Amino acid sequence: MEMLRMSNISKAFFGVSVLDSVDFSVEIGEVHALLGENGAGKSTLMNILAGVIPRDSGTILFDGKPMEHNTVQSTEQAGIAFVHQELNLFNDLKVYENIFLRKEILTKLGTLDKQEMIRKTRDLMDRLGVDIDPVATVSELETSKKQLLEIAKALHAEAKLFILDEPTTALNNNEIEHLFKIMRSLKDQGKSFIFISHKMTEIFTIADRFTVLRNGQMISSGNIADTTPTAVTRMMVGSSYSDSEIYESRTLGDQILELENYSGTGFTDISLSIRKGEIVGFTGLKGAGISELMQTIFGVLPHTGGTLTIEGKPCSGDIHNAMKHRVGMIAANRKENSILPDFTLLENNYISEHTLSRRKPIIRKRMERARFLKLREMLNIRCTSDSDLITSLSGGNQQKVILARWLNTDPDILLMDNPTQGIDVGAKAEIYKLILELARQGKTILVNTLEIPELQKVADRCVVFYHGHIHSVLSHEEITEERVMLAATNALGEAERVVRQ
Amino acid sequence: MRFFSNYSFILIFVAILIAYLIVNGSATTFNGIMNILRHSSVVGIMSFGMGLVIITGGIDLSVGSMLALIGGIGVVIFNNTQSIFLTLLVVLAVGCLLGFINGILIGKVKMPPFIVTLATMLIYRSISQYYLRTLTLSIYSMDASSPAFDPIYSFGQTKVFGFIPMAGVVLLFITVIMVFISTSTKFGKSVYAVGSNQRAARLAGISVEWTQVIVYTITGLLCGVSTFMWLAMNGSVDAATIGKSNEMYAIAAVVIGGISMSGGKGKLLGVLFGAMSYTIIDKIISSLGLDALINDSIKGSILLLAVFIQNAIPALRAKLHKSAG
Repeated sequence: MEMLRMSNISKAFFGVSVLDSVDFSVEIGEVHALLGENGAGKSTLMNILAGVIPRDSGTILFDGKPMEHNTVQSTEQAGIAFVHQELNLFNDLKVYENIFLRKEILTKLGTLDKQEMIRKTRDLMDRLGVDIDPVATVSELETSKKQLLEIAKALHAEAKLFILDEPTTALNNNEIEHLFKIMRSLKDQGKSFIFISHKMTEIFTIADRFTVLRNGQMISSGNIADTTPTAVTRMMVGSSYSDSEIYESRTLGDQILELENYSGTGFTDISLSIRKGEIVGFTGLKGAGISELMQTIFGVLPHTGGTLTIEGKPCSGDIHNAMKHRVGMIAANRKENSILPDFTLLENNYISEHTLSRRKPIIRKRMERARFLKLREMLNIRCTSDSDLITSLSGGNQQKVILARWLNTDPDILLMDNPTQGIDVGAKAEIYKLILELARQGKTILVNTLEIPELQKVADRCVVFYHGHIHSVLSHEEITEERVMLAATNALGEAERVVRQ
Repeated sequence: MRFFSNYSFILIFVAILIAYLIVNGSATTFNGIMNILRHSSVVGIMSFGMGLVIITGGIDLSVGSMLALIGGIGVVIFNNTQSIFLTLLVVLAVGCLLGFINGILIGKVKMPPFIVTLATMLIYRSISQYYLRTLTLSIYSMDASSPAFDPIYSFGQTKVFGFIPMAGVVLLFITVIMVFISTSTKFGKSVYAVGSNQRAARLAGISVEWTQVIVYTITGLLCGVSTFMWLAMNGSVDAATIGKSNEMYAIAAVVIGGISMSGGKGKLLGVLFGAMSYTIIDKIISSLGLDALINDSIKGSILLLAVFIQNAIPALRAKLHKSAG
């Protein structure tokens, strides 16, 4: 039995076709993976379904009833809940206030029944198996909890169909397992999920069926059991996509960065020696302290103990100081931390280099354009011209512009904090190749990531963090899902204790 | 279409100018047109500072009061030194200092701009008025009998090439400098970056703190220039009334000029047209023989209209495409 059938959906923006006669259907009690590169049309299709934008043509049948003139409210009432990729929470309100917004429980007198709402929120959190305090203010929650709260909001809405757009980007494996458990039990109750993600491991764990979109067209649809990650990726990317090993080791230079008993917010007593040309991967669960370590090295956060030495010279101070030591950082969460939304590509590109070349106060446009052109070629940035606004680019291309910004400062050391977050498969592969190429050219790269396949593709070594300490350092050959997870969760430590007893 | 939204301030200005020409009819003289430049000068110059500040996402409510304090000190220095050069120097230096105080509190101590400049707005004018009281005077008057008075006064009244008022020339000169700084210097771009995404600007290596300090200091400096022009044109400063509501007119000039209050975008060139638009409205009102008290009603309405046009056009465009496509 079908819960949803979208037929012949077409949509164009300013004359450019974004969806071309797309058919898409979801059964009752099914998890359906919607796959495609950034720009393939997934978000547009879902926005049409949820009533955010109108379709140009085609029909939608939901729960047996045709849907015309959708609005966000009408689709919500019909039973469709959309958990967006970007968090849509009210940071200044409390958790229970976010859950019950526009659906508040009132007392007989007509005032807010806060106790009841708090109690119901606590029940919801227990059902989810999530440790979120109903009266906590949202701005105080970590990103992973915020993401779980978004999902909780949708579940609270008692919808029939849930659209989950990249719901696991901030979650650790435990939390993801929990989410999947909830999804499975809701499936048994006849609810359906549309699951949008780029993580193959997750898709192949939880999804029943899949649909692949490419360039606004429906390419293929079928059962997950009948296909493989490589086959699906090939459908998404189009040209021959190979999963082959791109990793190559190279000769390393002398020690370029040394941490001795380095401590700061979220991490303590880190000692590490890194050589020129190395690619060092860092990983751990959320809260492991890696992002904080990178930010402290870069001067965003102050260090509280120990020393950092770069090329023999001690390095401590603010961001400008780190940049003078030829360090660059591609921050996590590019929308909040890297993108200057009112700026063009060219301006986003030169802004950091300018803080180093302040002695020459006047902008030489021709020179800047030439520099951008070179980087654009090297990084394969897809854009029309350097005067495009950065917001007109896809996520993967935006990240490349940020990488270009830092390469423009000619750094020796690059810190990359979750560099492929929210980026499609094609762009990810390009970024891995770039990382290896930059290392070949002599740059030293530190990569913080939650994706172990990523580490396997680029890292010479992998430093696994646990609660702000280095748990273990794995060589390239030792990097496997198992070993990393055991270290990241400190499972080995506990096992040893048990054996000793 | 994009040109229209980027340069909407030119169209608004032209519309208001045409209205003025219609209203004034045959009474329009070349002198009268040139006077628009002259009368836009004082508010116009300081509005450029306000524009920079608003681009960073901040605000400066103290600009009008700065005129009172800078002007008072300027007059006293003039009367005591008889030196135009020293007067200019002190006026600019005091302007920088007053702006720097704002800047440090906002940029380094990280206090909210609205509150800081609201406070200095009260403080600066009050100091000026109080000091005047201790001199047992009602206004600061430059000594007309001093030998230095004639040169400075004629500077204020002179016309370059015989027809462009000096005040207008100074305004245009400041315009050129400010537009150049904002479009072609690295510092200018960093101002926009701070307004566009403060966190990203910081992580990109920009010193957000110092950018803010400098921007408020520049505003103070420009208030100094405005004050000097005022002194040259008027020879006296009434601490109670000089610059009253100027901060509002400056903000209005910036907004009509197309600079968004949320920061990060807009062209400083628009400030010139915004300031001149406002002066013309004044002239239209007096041409029509309306009560001067109706002045602010009309100015407020024009402001609403200008912002409506700026916001409505992109929204209309989106709606047209949404339903048509």
